[in-house]
Amino acid sequence: MATEAWEDSLSGHLHSKFAQAILKTESFRGQPFAETTPSEFHNVVVFLRDDHAFDYLCDLTALDYPKDEARFELVAILYSFTHNRRVRIKTRFPESFHPQSLSDVYLAANWLEREIFDMFGIHFAGHPNLKRILMPDDWQGFPLRKEVNILDMDQSWVQNNLGIESGQ
Amino acid sequence: MLETIKRIFLLDLLQGLWVTFKMQRTSNITTEEYPKEIPKIGERYRGAPRLNINPDNSETLCIGCDLCAKACPENLIVVGTERNKETRRLDLTYFTYDLSRCMFCGLCEDACPVDALELTQDFEMASYTREGLIWDRQMLEEGPRPTKYTR
Amino acid sequence: MESVNHLETSEMVLNMGPQHPSTHGVLRLVLKLDGERVKAVECVIGYLHRGVEKIGENRTYTQFAPYVDRMDYISAVSNGLGYCLAVEGLIGVEAPPRAQIVRVIFAELNRIASHLLWLGTSALDLGAMTALFYCLREREEVLKIFENYCGARLTTHAFRIGGLQYELHDTFEAETRAFSEMFKKRLDEYDQLLTNNPIWIERLKGVGILTAEECKSWGVSGPMIRAAGLAWDLRKAQPYSGYDQFDFDIPTRQGADSYDRYLVRIDEMRQSLRIIDQALEKIPSGAIMAKVPKVLKPPPGEVYVSIEAPKGELGYYIVSDGSLHPYRLRVRPPSFINLASLEKMAVGALVADVVAIIGTIDIVLGEVDR
Repeated sequence: MATEAWEDSLSGHLHSKFAQAILKTESFRGQPFAETTPSEFHNVVVFLRDDHAFDYLCDLTALDYPKDEARFELVAILYSFTHNRRVRIKTRFPESFHPQSLSDVYLAANWLEREIFDMFGIHFAGHPNLKRILMPDDWQGFPLRKEVNILDMDQSWVQNNLGIESGQ
Repeated sequence: MLETIKRIFLLDLLQGLWVTFKMQRTSNITTEEYPKEIPKIGERYRGAPRLNINPDNSETLCIGCDLCAKACPENLIVVGTERNKETRRLDLTYFTYDLSRCMFCGLCEDACPVDALELTQDFEMASYTREGLIWDRQMLEEGPRPTKYTR
Repeated sequence: MESVNHLETSEMVLNMGPQHPSTHGVLRLVLKLDGERVKAVECVIGYLHRGVEKIGENRTYTQFAPYVDRMDYISAVSNGLGYCLAVEGLIGVEAPPRAQIVRVIFAELNRIASHLLWLGTSALDLGAMTALFYCLREREEVLKIFENYCGARLTTHAFRIGGLQYELHDTFEAETRAFSEMFKKRLDEYDQLLTNNPIWIERLKGVGILTAEECKSWGVSGPMIRAAGLAWDLRKAQPYSGYDQFDFDIPTRQGADSYDRYLVRIDEMRQSLRIIDQALEKIPSGAIMAKVPKVLKPPPGEVYVSIEAPKGELGYYIVSDGSLHPYRLRVRPPSFINLASLEKMAVGALVADVVAIIGTIDIVLGEVDR
């Protein structure tokens, strides 16, 4: 990714407050993002909300990089009404790590974290009601992980249920 | 005071009822009598697909380039071609279009370099069977034949 | 021998939906009731889950465009606009000025269509049947313009990455002007029909209050946050697609209840008409498609682009790894996040109010579940 360095007062504050915990502050196409260590992720978000008025959690989502040791990436997109700007905070961690839930910081995180759990199987520590939200409760596996292949699923379903070759 | 009068005589409610009352005029009726009158459909309507044929020699316009099949998000077009030894060109052997999976996005139409595949204004393409929705080349060239009901 | 014979009251758990006319789709609510009062709500969603984000990872960028229409199928044009802007941001292309203005007109027409369907159905939920017929009649006019322009009424697939596929049809200006003229009068009729209607006011005033602070914390966006007094509209805050060229207001209200959400949406339709009128005056001539490679292979990178859809902030977070397919395509669905706040708003309300609250959140289950 051809990124540029993100250098303004906000990234300066982040570096001075969290020092080693901020792994990088960069921007792509004018959109700044910072990567933190997984253990400090929650604190960085709280710091941004309390001290820099990032009082709106636009979106919380995850990515799956199955080849890496630190498999999952958690992305929080924050917005500040006062400054009218967006910031993305990211963190990478392995499957065994349970990131701390943001639902005590933003109420919106409640459903978003449930969706991430549903789709990726990331467990959030301290979430009040962590269960599947979109998929059926008895669903096996986590659909948005990269190893789930919808073409295979489609072909086996069509073969088992319709007895024909799938055109997909 | 005014508020009380309004409340007692339900003036605001009557105002709304007056709107409804005005709509009784027959010129305000907008219902389409569909099966009786076939509605006027937009010129660019994306409906049933058609494989155009050249009106001069009634040969297909399709050059078998497979671009529509590649453009289709649902992979529902299958183009079969054979290399003609004399003309060195691709001859179309079969062409199937699975309407049951089609979402009429028009990407195949956009991809076609010779305007052979086209989404037409026909919208009556219901079928009693799933197989009936998989259109072959003949069906695509002739167009759907919806049942005509008469009294 | 037990001789106690006093009336026992116990809590009741009531299932509302998934097949319920006033949940606007397949939303299931588990209500814990104490008499008529709601003590707790749990939303059970996912009945319409189609895995749009997973499909996105398996399609090319061009091929995925028709799928976004099927999320919020009431405002397919806005979904398409957001997706096109996101991919354009990723490949660093901007649509030509003509395409941008045309996109604005269609997005605003779509906003009117979406709000009309909302007004009709949520009025129907509360027993005002007439409004539905009038709203659908006017919406039909918008859909006809869509049909004449791009050939589809609902799932339009009107825009392409880099601009527009279709040039404006010849009668477009006349049709849109006629609609704008007619609709101004119709809006006044809706006002007469509902705004001062005592039953309508009784059903909506003070119901489902969500203050500005709560809105922020719940991530609520769109007309709901504006009804709470926060003049936040992405068209003004972070203009996209040439919205900064137009003169319009952000309608706000202070009450934060269902009635104010209704007023905000009615006012928004008026503002949309203003934008459409201005845009019709200044559609520039020129190309409608920017230079975009036939095979789209964005460089590795990631963007988050959001637009003000009729329901709220619709965002696309696209991560590219430099291949033909998006590595991750995340949609920030406004309906999904707005619906979460129902679990707060409905507590303490009456069962009948829950219907009113769902109505004024304005959800589309296709987008909640994706």
